Amino acid sequence: MPAKRALIMQPNDNVATALEEIQVGDDVAAALGKESRSLRAAEAIPFGFKVALQDIPQGELIRKYGEVIGRASTAIARGTMVHIHNLEGTRARGDLERRARA
Amino acid sequence: MSFWGFVRPDGSVGTRNYVLVIPQGIIAKTICDMVPGTRGILTVDHGSGRTANNREQIARLLIGLGRNPNVASVILHAASPGVGYPELRVERLAEEIAQGGKRVEVLDPAKDGGTYGAISRGIQLARMLVYEASVQRRALVGDDQLCVGVKCGYSDTTSGIAGNPAVGYLYDKIVEAGGTAMFGETTEIIGAEHVLARRAVNRQVAQAILDSATAQEARAKATGLDIRTVNPVPSNIKGGISSLEEKSLGAIYKAGTSPIQGVLKYAERPPRKGLYFVDNWMGHLSIFAGYVAAGANLVLFQLGGGGVAGRTLLEGSPSIVAPFLWATANPKTYAAARDSIDYYSGTVIEGTETPEEAGERFHRIVTDIASGTLARSETLNYTDPIDMYLEEPRF
Repeated sequence: MPAKRALIMQPNDNVATALEEIQVGDDVAAALGKESRSLRAAEAIPFGFKVALQDIPQGELIRKYGEVIGRASTAIARGTMVHIHNLEGTRARGDLERRARA
Repeated sequence: MSFWGFVRPDGSVGTRNYVLVIPQGIIAKTICDMVPGTRGILTVDHGSGRTANNREQIARLLIGLGRNPNVASVILHAASPGVGYPELRVERLAEEIAQGGKRVEVLDPAKDGGTYGAISRGIQLARMLVYEASVQRRALVGDDQLCVGVKCGYSDTTSGIAGNPAVGYLYDKIVEAGGTAMFGETTEIIGAEHVLARRAVNRQVAQAILDSATAQEARAKATGLDIRTVNPVPSNIKGGISSLEEKSLGAIYKAGTSPIQGVLKYAERPPRKGLYFVDNWMGHLSIFAGYVAAGANLVLFQLGGGGVAGRTLLEGSPSIVAPFLWATANPKTYAAARDSIDYYSGTVIEGTETPEEAGERFHRIVTDIASGTLARSETLNYTDPIDMYLEEPRF
């Protein structure tokens, strides 16, 4: 079976976006321009969702578009999905501000 | 590229040729019901109890809609002539709209025999004005006469990887040709403001971009809320977007790569041609009215729609005087709403078109619609009221 397609936006990104429905165990070809990186999906990644290209320790910054989109709220393993359950945005967070003041 | 448009006395060029009847009320509604070719604006706020700043903003919106090049002539009616807030007096609105050189008529129920007398005279005037407007022919003009505004909504990850880049390609082409292009949604540049600031034409503009984002972020923090319960909105999260920063970084692709000439307020007219950032709010019933008041002769909604096909959303367009286009890169959204969507860029994800081919096709569709081809939203006689972006409290 051909590898499932994913897209890396910029060279220093540590996530890729699934361009089709990826099932657990699928081979994934993550394209960056003309290059491609392969990995194995450790879980299902729906179309349009993000997959970790490498192990990302808790607290580490997560990059897409070559920019920071948040940090890992738990350790994230290569090939697993990155979404709100393990990625935390850090901007415009009134709750963090309130906690810091308390 | 070029398009066929209506050249106005001030040199601006319309893509449509309406007689505008404002503000909203029984007089405008009845005239518009009776006379084809007229257009009213649905708005629920007439400024009562509003601060002077916000009244001025309402006036700017009404004057801007009247001066929009898609409007051939204007009928204004006075709700309470000679009284009321100075900013919103009909004489003032009429005078400033007329500065653009187009014909402006004022109905005054006090002189025209009350509400029904004003309606009667208004219908007679409107019939004459739509006839006069119909005499004008379109002329071939360059893309420097395009003035566009965009918002992205129901964003999902197809928006960031294909939909917004397609808009960005179009924006670059329009700016390159000497046209005007506006983007905004201040909350949705938080996390990406540094990228935009690098593209500012000078240091002042860069600072103004950063200041807009900082002020909006401070407002969010002051609420004590976790922004993630508000924005990204649930449909964004369902479409794969995980944080406000990710949403913002995908959203700014729609601005293309041209230098940013300035930061505008809601409904403020760009002083020159080129690309502008507008400090505004994302709501689609709010943002497009602001762009059109600023002079946009065509506006675009780049829709993600992932997981939520957005059917109901797609049936209504804001009550404005510019063709309103729907674009999407999401194959599911497109399949669910082909009758409403003007442009599909999911071909780039599917690998059947290069980003450049998809962008060129978008440009052709936009110039066709600017020339008179109907936007899909124009094939349905339904509009939603506009929601003016007024930030100050009411009393």
